[in-house]
Amino acid sequence: MAATAPALQQDDTVVFPRRRRRKLGVYGLLVPAAVLMGVALGYPLVRQFVISFQEYGLRQQFGQPAEWVGLKNYTDLLTDPYVWTVIGRSIAFCLVNAAVTMLIGIAFAVLMSRIGTASRITLQVALLLAWGTPVLASMTVWQWLFDSQYGVVNWVLSNVFGLEDMAGHSWIIEPLSFYFVATVIVVWMSVPFVAFSIYAGLLQVPEETMEAAQLDGASSRQRFWNITIPMIRPVLSIVMLLQVIWDFKVFTQIYVLQRAGAPTRETNLLGTLIYSYASEFSLAGALATIMLVITLALTGFYIRQMLKEDEL
Amino acid sequence: MSAVDVPAPAPQATPQEIRLRKVTKSSEAGRAQSKRGRRSLGVVAVVLAVMWVFPIYWMINSAFLPLNKLQTPDPTFFPVGGTLSNFRRVLDDPTFWAAMRVSLAVVIVVLVAALLFAFLAALAVSRFRFRGRKGFILTILVVQMIPAEGLFISQYQMLDGWNLVNKIAGLSLVYTAAILPFTIWMLRGFVAGVPIELEEAGMVDGLSRTAAFFRITFPLLAPGLVAAGVYGFLQAWNEYTLALVVMTDPAQRTLPLWLQGLVESNRATDWGVVMAGSALIAIPVIVFFLFVQNKMTSGLVAGAVKG
Amino acid sequence: MKILRFAAVGVAAALTLTACGNGDDAADSPTENGTPEPATIKLWLNGTDTPDALREYLTTTFESENPGSKLVIEEQDWNGLVPRLQTALGSADQTPDVVEIGNTQSPTFTYAGAFADITDMYDELGGDNLLEGFVEAGSADGSFYAAPYYSGARAVFYNKDAFAAAGVEVPTTLAEFTEVAKKLQSDTQSGFWFPGQDWYNGAAWIYTNGGDFAVKDGDAWKGALSSAESITGLEEVQDLLANATNAPADSDSNEPWVPFNAGQAAMFSAPTWARWSIDLPQCNKAVDPEDESEEAKALRAEQQACNEEHTGVFPLPGLEEGTFANGFAGGSNIAVAAKSKHPELAKSLLKIIFTEEFQNMLGENGLIPGNTEYAASMGDDVYAKAAVDAALNAKLTPAAEKWADVEGDRILEDFFQQLATGADVKEAAADTDQLLEDALN
Repeated sequence: MAATAPALQQDDTVVFPRRRRRKLGVYGLLVPAAVLMGVALGYPLVRQFVISFQEYGLRQQFGQPAEWVGLKNYTDLLTDPYVWTVIGRSIAFCLVNAAVTMLIGIAFAVLMSRIGTASRITLQVALLLAWGTPVLASMTVWQWLFDSQYGVVNWVLSNVFGLEDMAGHSWIIEPLSFYFVATVIVVWMSVPFVAFSIYAGLLQVPEETMEAAQLDGASSRQRFWNITIPMIRPVLSIVMLLQVIWDFKVFTQIYVLQRAGAPTRETNLLGTLIYSYASEFSLAGALATIMLVITLALTGFYIRQMLKEDEL
Repeated sequence: MSAVDVPAPAPQATPQEIRLRKVTKSSEAGRAQSKRGRRSLGVVAVVLAVMWVFPIYWMINSAFLPLNKLQTPDPTFFPVGGTLSNFRRVLDDPTFWAAMRVSLAVVIVVLVAALLFAFLAALAVSRFRFRGRKGFILTILVVQMIPAEGLFISQYQMLDGWNLVNKIAGLSLVYTAAILPFTIWMLRGFVAGVPIELEEAGMVDGLSRTAAFFRITFPLLAPGLVAAGVYGFLQAWNEYTLALVVMTDPAQRTLPLWLQGLVESNRATDWGVVMAGSALIAIPVIVFFLFVQNKMTSGLVAGAVKG
Repeated sequence: MKILRFAAVGVAAALTLTACGNGDDAADSPTENGTPEPATIKLWLNGTDTPDALREYLTTTFESENPGSKLVIEEQDWNGLVPRLQTALGSADQTPDVVEIGNTQSPTFTYAGAFADITDMYDELGGDNLLEGFVEAGSADGSFYAAPYYSGARAVFYNKDAFAAAGVEVPTTLAEFTEVAKKLQSDTQSGFWFPGQDWYNGAAWIYTNGGDFAVKDGDAWKGALSSAESITGLEEVQDLLANATNAPADSDSNEPWVPFNAGQAAMFSAPTWARWSIDLPQCNKAVDPEDESEEAKALRAEQQACNEEHTGVFPLPGLEEGTFANGFAGGSNIAVAAKSKHPELAKSLLKIIFTEEFQNMLGENGLIPGNTEYAASMGDDVYAKAAVDAALNAKLTPAAEKWADVEGDRILEDFFQQLATGADVKEAAADTDQLLEDALN
């Protein structure tokens, strides 16, 4: 964004004449983070990757030697039609959730930029509360809200809207309806981050530009599509990238809802499937690698695009 | 999604360009309409806020209810005649305070370490061009794509090797490493957003390079640090899977583990107490949030724009 | 008989032990008089099932029998226990020395080599009086690793007023049970509270009819749900689910007394300690649970007496009159960790647990002690009798190495839920057998 960050494009020679020493200094700045990540994050990740080529389960954890099995874990997984079903589900779930979250997030952000202070703060506080509440706690509440016997959702539908069939209705026993509930919860939790980021981006759009456009008679819709959207495009792309990554890995919400009484096999996504392989560690590792490859495939084009436009 | 896929007009759309576009509406009319529109939009916002906050309301409402009013065919919408005994039981529970201390210690260590290291790294990637820069940025992006659910065994064995199991330092180490990628990612936008000219002006005025940095640039980065801090706070405060295996000593439990223990502590779970516990766990997060709210919103500005 | 088998494989067992018991070579060197060096050992107990008085007894007894040594008891939650054991038991520094483990989780860890071989202690701990299924769950390849700690069997609680209103008596056979449940069933009241995912209860119909979840066939496990015996039981289960309960298909075995207390169920099945959770509206005196005054205590006692007056309990009957059903046994095993640095001290703790005194203490607290010789300590009230009758006929899940995966994948929850939603029994059983075989082999 040329408007806000001219500094970024500078070459370090401009800033720092003593080039060589500074070069080393740059790496010095990176060292603490790089070492910490390399050790405490990189090591387990590499180990997981290595183990994915071994036979490594509970017995190996208790001291038996791990045998190399080559690509066996990968072929086992990729020849299992069930794994493909779960991959398909996860992709669909991820795309739907990311899209819904983005749409609602954008709508909220635009709304926030067009309303008075009092109502804006009300909405912001509500979003912050949703974002900040411990997941374990909010999941328990959501579970109650959709509970078939005592849930408020069923009570309201049957007693307020007169849909008597909904009394005792189970929301999570059918996969589609399960994913609907999961989407509601995931979107509820994700929208705050998206809405705040995009709202922040909107604030960054120079007021003069908007006023000038308005004086020139551009309608608000025109202003939105022709000025606002292009200007916040970097935010949109990054937030969406993160959303796709996070929604593809979704675990806690699905896990808790499954324990609430859903048919597990019919509702597994990749996150819960990996967790269920915890005692066959090598399969979990192989599946994690497969997930990484899929995520890269889903987002690769996008990342390349961002690299080209120098947004990274 | 479409906003991104559709090739948008050049971002540098200048007022001049826009002036060329067709005039459709007089700005006077637009303003009158926008005032009315603003009010009705405000109502919409409040309605949405109520919808969004309802689950949280339900948590607090339940925390005031005795067990026999919680699971009934007709829900109790307002805690009329409610009880404070659920809250009292949590507050009188020494294990709650012990877990609170552990969680706070972990969060503080994680925030300080992650913000400091991420800040330095962000400085490097946003102020300098160097060999490996794009590689580094790509790596921290890709790392976030790997699911963490199967990692806990390796992480445990690693901490065990360093004798860091059941230690705040051990848990903090892994948490810090886990949130660093996103934190660097977020902070680099903020750093890039502070014009280097400001700092140079300070140096021209006779400040040393370090002094210029701390007097001029650093204050401008505060919102960014706050925004990244909120993210780190939430991650470290809520994490369960790894804490479960690392903190096995009951005296070293974090709050999520304590909450899980509360669910099980009696053969019949007292959900009112669990909800009171949940609400109390949420309070530090929410206080932190509200406290930094303004800074964060402006902070997310810069960060978001440069991503 | 078991002893003989153990003796026969003694050599193999010793070899296995050396193979898995690495890492503790230097540990626990005995002093000159043959007693182990004093140390602090760690015992993991799960949930609140072991009452505080018993914990204190263990600590004091252990410390007086092993002067200079200390016992630290750490309470672990049942939820998340498997990942915790999976990591901690593999660490020589962190491992608890003695560990309680759920009986269905026991085979997995036993086979994996997580526990020390205690075959030589089998007789000393109680021999053939030890709960049989639990011994099986704690044995691998002919060696004995995890001893039965306690069992908690399920009994059926019923609302006496509802029985009187429907004019039914306590059933004496399993078939009669279904009839009674159907008679009690109405739109507002479940005859028998049978949640859709509750395979713990459902297991009784499979076992009693002679079926099983899986059986060992040579070296491999074979799903046994589609055996004729299992199918007979499962058809009864589906009949009950369809015609004798309003319980949702998406609910599990947790807290079945909630609908019972609300008058929405005439019968439910649960471990016998559920008696303390019964809270019928006509008996509720609205005492503040925190009020510790004499008056409040008296009111609570009155309330409990009233609840128990309106509630009856019986063990699920068997196929014929006078017999009992083979229900699913819940409970725990207890074992010495393979990586324990103080195996001798750990074993001395195990011995204390299997003394008559401690076994009786388990019984007095409503848990069926691991050594059945002391079952009489449970007392002879209706609850104790129902519990003992149910427990002595109870059966465990197959002692398969990978049974933990079956639970992790929630295969049986899914299966019973399919029955609850009206799936074809034979088809569902065949599909699930396939899943069981995939998981177990």
